[in-house]
Amino acid sequence: MLPNFSYERPGSVDEALEQSSSEGAVLHAGGTDLLGCLRDGVFSAEKVVSLSGLDDLRGIRSSGGGLRIGALTTLTEIATHDAIAERYGALSQAAASAASPQLRNQGTVGGNICQRPRCWYFRGDFDCLRKGGDRCYAIAGENQFHCIFGGSGCYIVHPSDTAPALQALGASVRIASRSRSRTVPMEEFFILPSDDISRENVLEPGELVTEIELPRVASGTRSVYRKVRDRGAWDFALAGLAAVVRMSGDRVDEASLVLSGVAPKPWRAAEAEAALTGNRLDAATIEQVANASVAGAQPMPHNGYKVDLVRGLVMETLQSLA
Amino acid sequence: MKYYLDWPEPDAGDLPPPDQNIEPWGETDVVGKPLPRIDAYERVSGSAVYTLDMALPDMLHTAIVRCPHAHARVVRVDASRAEAMPGVRAVMTTASPEAAIPWYFGRGGATSSLFDEHCRYAGEEVAAVAAETWHQAIEAARAIDVEYEVLPFVQDDAAALDEDAPRVHDSGNILGQQTGGRGDVEAGFAEADVVLEETYHTPCELHAPMEAFVSIARWDGNRVTVWDSTQGVFGIQAGLARYLQLPLSSVRVICHYMGGGFGSKLGLSKHTVIAALLARMTARPVKAVLTREESFLCVGNRPATTIRIKAGVKRDGTITAFDASFLGSGGAYPAGANSTFLVQALYECPNVRVEDNEVFTNAGQARAFRAPGDPNCAWALEQMIDDLAERIDMDPVEFRLKNYATVLQTNNTPYTSIGLGDCLRQGAEAFGWAEARARTPEEGHLRRGVGMAAGMWRYPGDPRATVFVKVFSDGSVNLTMGAADIGTGTKTTMAMVVAEELGVALESIQIVHSDTGTTQPAPSSGGSQTLLVMSPAVRAAAIEVKNQLLEIAAAEMELPVEQLVVQDGKVMPAGEPEAGVEFASLTGLRRRQVVVGVGRRHPHPEGKIALPFAAQFAEVEVNTLTGEVQVLRLVAAHDSGRMLNRLTYENQVFGGMTMGLGLGLTEERILDSNQTGKMVNANWHDYKIPTAKDVPADNTCIPIDPQDTEANTVGAKGLGEPAHIPTAAAIANAVYHATGARVYDAPITRSRMLEALAAAEGE
Repeated sequence: MLPNFSYERPGSVDEALEQSSSEGAVLHAGGTDLLGCLRDGVFSAEKVVSLSGLDDLRGIRSSGGGLRIGALTTLTEIATHDAIAERYGALSQAAASAASPQLRNQGTVGGNICQRPRCWYFRGDFDCLRKGGDRCYAIAGENQFHCIFGGSGCYIVHPSDTAPALQALGASVRIASRSRSRTVPMEEFFILPSDDISRENVLEPGELVTEIELPRVASGTRSVYRKVRDRGAWDFALAGLAAVVRMSGDRVDEASLVLSGVAPKPWRAAEAEAALTGNRLDAATIEQVANASVAGAQPMPHNGYKVDLVRGLVMETLQSLA
Repeated sequence: MKYYLDWPEPDAGDLPPPDQNIEPWGETDVVGKPLPRIDAYERVSGSAVYTLDMALPDMLHTAIVRCPHAHARVVRVDASRAEAMPGVRAVMTTASPEAAIPWYFGRGGATSSLFDEHCRYAGEEVAAVAAETWHQAIEAARAIDVEYEVLPFVQDDAAALDEDAPRVHDSGNILGQQTGGRGDVEAGFAEADVVLEETYHTPCELHAPMEAFVSIARWDGNRVTVWDSTQGVFGIQAGLARYLQLPLSSVRVICHYMGGGFGSKLGLSKHTVIAALLARMTARPVKAVLTREESFLCVGNRPATTIRIKAGVKRDGTITAFDASFLGSGGAYPAGANSTFLVQALYECPNVRVEDNEVFTNAGQARAFRAPGDPNCAWALEQMIDDLAERIDMDPVEFRLKNYATVLQTNNTPYTSIGLGDCLRQGAEAFGWAEARARTPEEGHLRRGVGMAAGMWRYPGDPRATVFVKVFSDGSVNLTMGAADIGTGTKTTMAMVVAEELGVALESIQIVHSDTGTTQPAPSSGGSQTLLVMSPAVRAAAIEVKNQLLEIAAAEMELPVEQLVVQDGKVMPAGEPEAGVEFASLTGLRRRQVVVGVGRRHPHPEGKIALPFAAQFAEVEVNTLTGEVQVLRLVAAHDSGRMLNRLTYENQVFGGMTMGLGLGLTEERILDSNQTGKMVNANWHDYKIPTAKDVPADNTCIPIDPQDTEANTVGAKGLGEPAHIPTAAAIANAVYHATGARVYDAPITRSRMLEALAAAEGE
């Protein structure tokens, strides 16, 4: 059952920032995550600030060779946008692989990158660390869907599909607040539990994601997003891979490999990128890159399969690009 | 295993004798046609009113307080805050007199009560509130302060057997230990050329029907009417009469449109009794709806099963022995957990030993779930059968054709008909089995494979049913029957039986059903019995009406009754349609206003048993790098006797296979057993029912009709459950064929597939 809250529907970004700066205010974009969290008591709200009146934050525009995507653009709009499919394939595929058609019609890209974790202890009736409780239940509990990288104290995985694709494509996030606006590279937008266990990104209270900027794509660049889940739709990634490579001939000049579903934030596989860059995309390289992609993995008792899965994903994806 | 019955089994003498005058149908005009459901428009347009949709004037709403601990004792309940809250009209707790109503009858008698201070699973009922609005009820339920003494709990079936395990009941955790079988298994293994032994596991599954669990109770003096989402109004009526100490005539239970149950809505639930009690206390109608989360906890599941099978086979393909042991738990209260039936019955084998162990654990109680125990057993048995066949270099279909049993071996009863051989042969042919099996394996990481499994369903149905068919003065027709239509198309197929006999249009048939106040007792819609129990009674009633109309017409047309027939809603001399007289033109009918036919189901045939059989085939693609399994196509060949309607028949088969795909690949209750004992995936996102993306577009259904004239006067056998039994095992066998990796634990998640692939590689 939803708690009692006041509801505001501002007509401008400034007004929205004003409304959302008060204590206990939450932002309502698509609402597909927010309403579930409120209903299940994951967190509460004094005030819900609807963003539905902010038409400025909708739509996809060209800008200096890149694209600017309004935070309220739906996942369906991204998944069906021709220029995105053509130039930013990984993003198009990531948006199309999220949730279900109904949720993609409603859910926004801003909401998608800001959504809360899906850990069933966080979502359920457990007083867990991330909710201010005294322990992480995943450590000794049912951790088959938890992280193999970047955990400490809390072992969530970041649930977004679009975020790893955006990060691999070099995107930045435009953030506004009453006092300032700033642009943060996607890579720096997300944080680990060791930085702050109560949140998943750098947003401060009163800040609002307004736009995502995608840079120009260098010629010869290809990108894909591949997601593995336990069922064909309406399911989060067990592991996923956003891969962006720029090649000349069969040699990789530049590579960006970002994993989903395996860490509390989109996880850059830096060693794998290094093993790939400058090398020919042949079987030997692919094997090395796959092994490097799980270097440093620290599986929990029930999620060791994710190590094999990431290795397999990297191999399959690179083979498809070769 | 017995279905939910409050009545002793009938003797043959209690039922009318088989009507020798009812001949099997020859060519049929309506029956067998692919006709859309008569209520399809109402269902898809949203105009059909389900119990969940109903609202009565002055109706109150309930919320139930549930124990959040896997095992606890209620030390103190304080409802004073709740009682003072706005809108609250009544509160019941463990301290109320009604709390003592005995509950969970079973082996060993009543073991609990409506609100039990000893809470044995997370989700058990502790208190309930009735308030003016649902939100007020929920707020009030939250305001009830309950102090618990938290107790140690046990959820692992094997651990529950330990002497030192926490006791779910004071009497201990062992619910039942049974052994059965025939012959001498040791001698059988000594004869065998190959002996294999494996242990398999199937998960606890949730029914997850689309329509929520809901009951609405309204009292009128000392009589109560309950609208309930149920698979059988008569079972609910009997249960309520017992708990409320009322005669059956004071309890009316009604369920018209029904949105699925799969076994979970066969029995009476606590929320239904709570609604009736709160309605009596407040003298207001009360609606009790369970949330989705609640429905995952407290209204049943298919229990997890661990099955060890040892089997012996000779080089010529003769099976010499089966030795199987089962361990399962129906949760905290008595419930059937396992079924050893298929091991005992499906294949000819002289030496069989089965051992069945059931334990109590601190988890929600099981309820019948589409072929209780059998898909689990098929998962184990049918993988073992494939392994045996492989070891003696025999094709799996050929091996099953050689070994399927032609009598019911548990008591040597012959079958009225057995189409399993045809299911295997025609299924294999339609599937292209031989070619697919012989295909050269792929080189890359995407591997295709094919597999199959057989099955049968053990319950012949409760033969008691009484049906009225009325013809009104204008020739339109009323069918009054007790059976529910739980989404299977019962109303449609029964109307087709009436139309077959009377030649009237389906649109002219009014159906009154599933109402204990206006219809006659009928079996609950479970156990795949509705069609085969009801349709002979409907046919008998329609024939009785027809005979009365013929008598009336014979007198008016001044012809001998033997020369007259009914066709297209008219009475006519045989072969002279132009001389036909419409029912409405019969003066005798109009003078009487109505002609009523009463039809009763005849007993099952003596000395024989009518059971349905199935063989299903699957093709899968396995990604060996990621563990992804995609089912590419399914073929189901079913001997369920006569097919009454191709469309509803296919619905049953494709629905059953989809559910089987869930068992094979995605569905699994997960409890936080190491820590809190709570269910962690009690919602439709984390509990993964297959989506349209998981189900193949390429599904084929092959009805096998062995023209059974002994089973009943319609020749139909059950279908809902056999459609679900072999699917998961067929998928597992296909996965093995594709990869050489056996997955012994269902469901085959990406995790289990990757682990099995790694294990196979290590071999």
